[in-house]
Parts: sequence; structure tokens; C-alpha cells
Amino acid sequence: MSDFAIEAHQLVKKFPARPGTGDKSANAETTPTPKRKLWPFGKKEPKAMFTAVNGVDLQIQRGEIFGLLGPNGAGKSTTIRMLCTLLEPTSGTARVHGFDVVKQANDVRRSLGTVLAGERSIYWKLSGRENLEYFAALYHIPQPIAKKRVEELIERIELKDRANELVEKYSTGMRQRIAIAKALLARPPILLLDEPTLGLDPQAARNLRELIAQLKQEGHTILLTTHYMEEADQLSDRIGIIDTGKVIALDTPEGLKRRIEQKEVIKLEVTGWHDEIGDKIKSISGIENLMSRRQGEADLWEVNMQAQNSRTAIPRIVEHISGNGTRLVNMNIVKPSLEDVFIHLTGKALRD
Amino acid sequence: MEATLSPQSLGKPGIASDLRALWAVVRREWTIFTRYPSWIIALFIWPLIFPMMYILTARALSGIDGSGLQVFLQNTGAQDYIGYIIVGTTVWMWQNIVLWDVGFALRNEQMRGTLESNWLSPTWRFAYLLGHTGPQLVSMSLFILITAIEFGLLFGVRLHGSAGLALLVMLASIPAVYGLGFAFASIVITAKEAHTFVFLVRGLVMIFCGITFPVSLLPGWMQTIANWLPQTYMIHAMRAAAFSNASLTDLWPDLRALLLFGAFWLTLGYVLFRMMERRARQTGSIGQY
Repeated sequence: MSDFAIEAHQLVKKFPARPGTGDKSANAETTPTPKRKLWPFGKKEPKAMFTAVNGVDLQIQRGEIFGLLGPNGAGKSTTIRMLCTLLEPTSGTARVHGFDVVKQANDVRRSLGTVLAGERSIYWKLSGRENLEYFAALYHIPQPIAKKRVEELIERIELKDRANELVEKYSTGMRQRIAIAKALLARPPILLLDEPTLGLDPQAARNLRELIAQLKQEGHTILLTTHYMEEADQLSDRIGIIDTGKVIALDTPEGLKRRIEQKEVIKLEVTGWHDEIGDKIKSISGIENLMSRRQGEADLWEVNMQAQNSRTAIPRIVEHISGNGTRLVNMNIVKPSLEDVFIHLTGKALRD
Repeated sequence: MEATLSPQSLGKPGIASDLRALWAVVRREWTIFTRYPSWIIALFIWPLIFPMMYILTARALSGIDGSGLQVFLQNTGAQDYIGYIIVGTTVWMWQNIVLWDVGFALRNEQMRGTLESNWLSPTWRFAYLLGHTGPQLVSMSLFILITAIEFGLLFGVRLHGSAGLALLVMLASIPAVYGLGFAFASIVITAKEAHTFVFLVRGLVMIFCGITFPVSLLPGWMQTIANWLPQTYMIHAMRAAAFSNASLTDLWPDLRALLLFGAFWLTLGYVLFRMMERRARQTGSIGQY
């Protein structure tokens, strides 16, 4: 048995580029092979391919929570889908619980519990209990054990009183809990949780994070993707940041934060913001990764940037903001968070 | 890192486990089917509506004294024109419903988002499609039974042949009807849309298989096409079994053709399913809707 719960070596996934999208991204390329025959007149142009995952290497230790972070389209969902056998890699290898994801796909599925599409992954016209009984059969759990396991999990996710109601009557949080219970049914050694707290209210999300921490204590290895940086920071033993199909950083949350700890983060709240001001501020020496985001409907903007030395930069920032209908409402200088590390590495916010 | 023992999976693989998973799919489908009240309309109203269109047309065309019906009976060799029409329309509806129900079974799951979560389990994947067939067969058998009862009560249609042989024809038809449904299900997952194909197949059955008229009335080239459609044999054999005194020997040529078509369509359905499964792993199409 391998020392690692999940191992990926030079994992690559290419898809045919969608016609008409005019994809000019760095990941779009034209592969010389295979050439498609245009019978009987000759040969077609080589097929344009899009590289979604471009040589990912991962080694996830048994019993750890590994956070996989990346902006939308970075390749994290494709990576997860290859690891759980929904997608076949174009090249490279991956092993889950020691099993090859291509050659031993069924053994991989038996070793995994997955939450991929959250509340959409269960049947809304069945009750919570019926859903769990159904999936217990799909995961080949012998009937007497399945019965006990379903009751145990219903108890654990605190849905005992409503287990016989149709899922369509549940809240998003309750449906998500059933989806998690489904993943836990066969007591798999490895859990893949793709955005498990997406759409949950803060209390439900907190409860779910507690559950994830408990599952780690019980020995489960957890591969987690999330859009919530605080969640990744709080739960993960290690974090891999993926962008344009490559793992660009991999370390503990503290290790990642240390990479930019000599920098400071300036957070502004501004009214009347426009892009020209941003361009001027970016030209100040030592300022980088400026990101602006409108807050709600009002003309209030949150502007964040990283600075080598805030003391010398701030007077010049204030100078650029003042006047022309732009007003500085609030300003803070804070220590870099994991989100700032992410922005530093990818040039994008996690929600981009 | 703290060394903790990994949990051991509770799953026990094997043929018995796969069969239990198949049964779970059947139960799930039946439970969901009964939770949509529209099944009452599907079972009680629809069997009357479609044949009525042809029965009323036949009456309108039969003349004031109904003499046209005698000509129809002479041409077809039938004893009861309503029974003759019901067999044709019921076979058409059976194939039509299977194309929608079984043909779109996986696609509907894909759109709901549940196909991916089924696909992630270690169960034999053809079970998801096969499992849809069980409740569909039960509801379709009820449909045919209710058709017989409703037309018996409302129009006095009576069985003149053998119920056992009629059942045998039905059983022999199952592989062809559902094999076509399996082939469709795989095409629909890949193409994402197959309404046009469904309309084409049911149109072919309607025109070429003689649902309300004998195939012998068709021009030669149309009869050749009819000979390549299993529904032609289903309709012919069912009429002979239910409304004449045909013996098993009389029915054998039709039954043999149905079994051969069944073997062909079931094999094609399974091959297309495996091709779709393979393609889905390369393109990730299972999770796309």
C-alpha cells in the first residue's frame, strides 16, 4: 500500500477547444496529432486542443486535509474529476488509495466518498432516508450494515426528525448534509469535497466545517476545494494553489503566508472610484496586485493592494484619490492573509 | 503528521451486490414514478385518447350504413375493427413511451445532476439503465391491461384468441423494444438532444408498420422497409394471437423475427452504452448538462 492517499504525477488533461470561442488563452494550443481524415479529399486541419490541466503533481498524505484552491477555470475541478474517475487523463498517472485511476477505476470509486454537485447530487423526490438507503446499495454495503449505517449518519447530521420527509422540502443546508452523509456511507478512507459549504448560511457552514475537522480526527483523508479562503486556512493542513492548469504553490497555510510576510496589505474604501485612478496607483513604486471590487449597489468600492512599504506609498495613494469626485472613506493596513498570497501568486481573486 | 488508521470501506463487491444495486435502482424509479400524480393520467386517460382518434375516423369513413367497415374487415381479415386498431396503436404507444422513458432516462438524470453521483459509485453502470426498465415494464403492462379493460367495457371489445399467446408475443417483443430504448439512451447522453430521432422512429412505425391498416396495402418498397422494423412483426403477431385462432406454429415466424431483432437491438444498445461510457470518461460529458 502506498504511503500516500492520493498521488498524481504529471497529470494532463486536454479537451478539444470549443469551435467559435476564439480561445486565445495560454492553455489553448494546436496539437500536431491526431490528424483527422476528411475522406475522400484529404486531411482536416489538426484539432485545436485546450489544456485544462497541465502537468499536475500531487502527493496527499494519509489523514491530512488538503485544500486545492484556484480561480474559476484554473483546472481544479478537472483535476478532482480525474482523481474520482469521471475523467480519464490525457497523460500522466494518478493513484488513489494505491489504485490507478484508469486501470483500477472501480477500486478507486470504492475508496472514495465524494461531494461534487452538492444538493443536486441527491434525489429530491425521495426522502433523506430513502436517498441514503439507495446509495448504500450502490456502494455495495450489505443490507444489515447499511440499515445501521444510515441510522447512524442520520443521527450524526442531526436530521432524525425529518429523515422521512422528501428532500424537496429541505433547506439547502439540510440537502448538503444528506450529500455529505451519502459520501460517508461506505466509510471510505478518502473524501473529495468540492465546494461543500457553497450556498450555506454562516451557521450551517460552521457546522459543516466542524464535521470536516471531526472526519479528519477519525482518520479520513480529505481533499477539499473551496472558494472561501478562511475555510481553507482554518481546515487545511496543506494547500495547493492551482492556476492555468498547474500547481503554482504548495505548502502549509503558514508557509504560504510567510512568502509575502515582508509585504503589507493596504485596504481602502473609496467612493467615486474609476480605473484611471487604479492605473495611477499601480504606477507607484512598490505597489502591486491592486484589486478593486464594488460593494453592493452603492458607489462604494473596496480597493486592496500589496505594498513593499506602506509608509512611503500612502501619501502618494491619498494624493491620487483626492479630488475629481473621488473620496477616501476608510483605510487599513493589515498583515497578509491567505487571500493576499493567492492574489500575489495568481494575480486574481479566488472568486474571479 | 499524526498517524491515524484509515477507515476501512464497508462495501463488499460481487455479483450479489450488483444485483442488489440493480434492485435499488428499480425501487428508486418506481418510488419516484408514483410520487408524480400524472401517472394516473398516463395510465387511465392516455390509453383511450390515441386509439379513439383512429376509431372515430374509421366510423366517419365507414358510410351512413357502416358498410365501409365490412370492406375494412374483408381487407384485413379481422373480426373486430376496434380490436385491430387498438393493437396497432398500443404497440406504437409502447415503443413511443419506451423511447421517451428509457431513451431519456440517463439524460433526465444528467439534467437533475444525479447521474454523476450514480456514476461515482462502484456499481455496474448498465444497471442504471436496466433499472429504469423494470418500473417501465410494470407500468406498461398495466397500461396494456387497462387498455384492454377500458375498451372491453366501453366498446365491447373481446379477446377471440389466446391470452397466453398474446402474452408470449409481448414477452418476445420486449428485447427489441427496450434494446432500441437502450441505444437511444446512449445516443441522447452524447448528443444531449434526440427529440428529432424519436419523432423519426415513431413516424416510421406509424407509416410503415400498419398500425391501423394491413402492410400489404403499402407499395412494394415500403413493405421492404416494414420488414426491417420489429414493430411490424409485433403488430401482426399480436393481432393474430389476440383476435384470431392462430396457433404457436402460426406465430413462430413472427416470434423468431422478434427474437432476432431483440438480439440485434439489445447488443447494439449495450455496445452503444459502453461507447458512450468510454467517451464520457474522455470528455467529461456525464456532468455536463
